[in-house]
Amino acid sequence: MFGLIGHSTSFEAARRKASDLGFDHIAGGDLDVWCSAPPQLVENVEVTSATGKTISGAYIDSCFVPEMLSRFKTARRKVLNAMELAQKKGINITALGGFTSIIFENFNLLQHQHVRSTTLEWERFTTGNTHTAWVISRQVENNAPLLGIDLAKAKVAVVGATGDIGSAVCRWLSSRTGVAELLLVARQQQPLKDLQAELGGGRVLSLEEALPEADVVVWVASMPRTLEIDSASLKKPCLMIDGGYPKNLDAKVACEGVHVLKGGIVEFGSDIGWTMMEIAEMEKPQRQMFACFAEAMLLEFEECHTNFSWGRNNITLEKMDFIGAASVRHGFSTLNLQGQPQAVVV
Amino acid sequence: MPTPVSPEVAVLDERDTSAEQLPDFTTEAYKDAYSRINAIVIEGEQEAYDNYMSLGTMIPEHADELVRLAKMEMKHMKGFTACGRNLGVEADLPFAKEFFGPLHSNFKTAFKEGKVVTCLLIQALLIEAFAISAYHIYIPVADPFARRITEGVVKDEYTHLNYGQEWLKANFEASKEELFAANKANLPLIRSMLDQVASDAATLHMEKEDLIEDFLIGYQEALSEIGFNMREIARMAAAAL
Repeated sequence: MFGLIGHSTSFEAARRKASDLGFDHIAGGDLDVWCSAPPQLVENVEVTSATGKTISGAYIDSCFVPEMLSRFKTARRKVLNAMELAQKKGINITALGGFTSIIFENFNLLQHQHVRSTTLEWERFTTGNTHTAWVISRQVENNAPLLGIDLAKAKVAVVGATGDIGSAVCRWLSSRTGVAELLLVARQQQPLKDLQAELGGGRVLSLEEALPEADVVVWVASMPRTLEIDSASLKKPCLMIDGGYPKNLDAKVACEGVHVLKGGIVEFGSDIGWTMMEIAEMEKPQRQMFACFAEAMLLEFEECHTNFSWGRNNITLEKMDFIGAASVRHGFSTLNLQGQPQAVVV
Repeated sequence: MPTPVSPEVAVLDERDTSAEQLPDFTTEAYKDAYSRINAIVIEGEQEAYDNYMSLGTMIPEHADELVRLAKMEMKHMKGFTACGRNLGVEADLPFAKEFFGPLHSNFKTAFKEGKVVTCLLIQALLIEAFAISAYHIYIPVADPFARRITEGVVKDEYTHLNYGQEWLKANFEASKEELFAANKANLPLIRSMLDQVASDAATLHMEKEDLIEDFLIGYQEALSEIGFNMREIARMAAAAL
């Protein structure tokens, strides 16, 4: 059995969803009520792979909403309680979706292995980052040519290059794709230098320096609230992969010749009988989902019950190959610019 | 999706979560709050003893087991009395009696009417889930003496919750309607008890938000184990929120 831990994109959206599900007492509650609301297993689902194999899974809403990010204890509790519920339900492998894995990582929840009488078994959880990194890399490879961008001659900026996903994308693009030049953007200089040494290349730039030079920009970093992007200074055409959460890049760079693609999203080959992707505001909620969620499904299909993506900077090319091959085999495709999935050739 | 392009994420940066702060157990403010919290725990364990003894007369075929459960509660009561003594605090027992008054009176009425389902819901589900959640939250912020005692107690309380759970599960269909009614009448009392104790609990570094969520998790888990479905549980929990 696979599990997905997710949450609504906003407090308002969460209340609407709760009302649809018949949780009227929570739907009508204020933020304090939500802060005390326990996680809920809201949906069970069956998924059949392109290979014919069927697995079952469950969606757990942690009752976290982004408005709780400033309440650190609340956010921490929401994540741990949702993980405890997943484990108690006997779920083999659960993906931490949305802010869940960010909170886990940034609040260092590894030191909170005991939740009441439960000892969390980390091998039951995955951040899903390996699949996300693979999908983003493939989105670059598939979509740049559609805009007439020849990757062999292109400069690809990775914003958030030193993060877990960013560094994996850099590794893939530099070893497997052969992009002309990687532009490495991140806040901290030392990890950037380390990454540059590991890659044996790439140029370290500030965001302001990198953007006007880039044919492709992969965004996998937190964006300062005040950040404004001067669309006029961007190359045309420019492919922007919005690999962050939530997806809010379109509004900042809407401009002729600048093409924004939602990064790290996959589409399954057939409809899945669930309703929960509606809260993630997918265009086709019956088929589309975050690649990190799909990773839990893939690991269950492959009976690979381990914390496949865990910790920082552990994503190897071999792991990306494994999850990528599984992704294709079981019927997932990456989202592309036309809004249509494109068959992936590995 | 772990790498956000989001303004909110700024608040997540580099937060030091390594040390939970322990309260100063020697201040007057702590001792004052402790005098009420400690009394609630002592009174709660005493009433639990009485309630399990009463239940033993209602379910004679389980009388031996219920007496055994009752005796465990008596042992807990003595342990918590020692915790107060250790800090030099005199438990405010009259406050605690009043605190449990409404719930205790509902139990007594149900007992007189022979309503075993209601009695089990009050003692074995509500009070035990309440105690378990509170003890779990207390343990990390307790003084070393009380911490050891409470760690022992919380393990026992699961067996009490489990007793009620199993009995109600075995008699689910026959108990269902009474459980709905008993929940409606008693869950709001638990909520108001939580509200009453919130500021004293905060002095002990136990937050109301944690107490409510942990209680609801335990209670909902028990209801689910007994046989209620998600919607029924949601409807029942509405009485608490």
